[in-house]
Amino acid sequence: MTAEAPDLSVSRVFDAPRALVYRAFTDPEQVAAWWGPTGSVRPLDEMEFDVRPGGYQRFVTVFPDDPSIRAEVRIDLADVAEGRVLDGVMRVRGRLPGGFAAFETRFRFEFYDEPDGRTRLEVRQWLPPHVGGATEEGWRQSFAELDAHLATTAVS
Amino acid sequence: MWHALLGPRPVRSERCLDEHFTNWLNDRVSATDRLSLVFAALADPTRRAILAELTAGDATVTQLTAPLPISMPAVSRHLKVLEGAALISRSREGKWQRSHLEAAALWEAAAWIERFRGFWDSSFDRLDAHLATLQQEPENR
Repeated sequence: MTAEAPDLSVSRVFDAPRALVYRAFTDPEQVAAWWGPTGSVRPLDEMEFDVRPGGYQRFVTVFPDDPSIRAEVRIDLADVAEGRVLDGVMRVRGRLPGGFAAFETRFRFEFYDEPDGRTRLEVRQWLPPHVGGATEEGWRQSFAELDAHLATTAVS
Repeated sequence: MWHALLGPRPVRSERCLDEHFTNWLNDRVSATDRLSLVFAALADPTRRAILAELTAGDATVTQLTAPLPISMPAVSRHLKVLEGAALISRSREGKWQRSHLEAAALWEAAAWIERFRGFWDSSFDRLDAHLATLQQEPENR
């Protein structure tokens, strides 16, 4: 999995027990309270969670101050270890803030006990391996279009 | 380590023989796909070493091979991958083809990743506050 470097690593210690921090990532009402850009909200009636290996988490991020933005987040979970690991692919599409184009990213959250009832969260994020295949297909399509384009140009 | 490759933000030079072709193709490959090519190219330590070498200036394949424990054809293959990701451009002077670092693609990749750092930082600030509130509630004590 580390073959997909470079990636993003973020480490953060929270002043709360591990079970509680893990729940903040897996309970829809909790995720609604904090996940997302500043000024965004996640309507509860558009959240769908099935947290288990092979499960998913789906929600929508909207901005009350800017109705033009609506980001649809779909997380496909691969590796889930209750209280310790959440691992999968996150797909974000829709009308995204800040000029972000629709994207996919692989991520892994690991939760560790720290002294005094605190919890360390390790986030790693990188492009998923299968995007490489999609890219090759993208190039193939582009070259097919280019062939057609050149054929037209040659005639005119 | 690849962040160290980034110098001052450059103005991208268009060295391509056919600028229209490049623009045409770029329009048809989404930003995410271009980034995938960049990340795939950067995933290899030899290619990162080549990019690091090119930060010192343009170089021929012979010059790039000298410090590396691999053959010239192998270096050429790596250069093709880097060129495909628009991380380098190549120009011919007489019989020598020189590789040139195109930092714009690196910047795009770095910016993509760094936006997530900001995203997580601000989200986790809110999570901090949220967890503090939760622990005030009797059922979580």
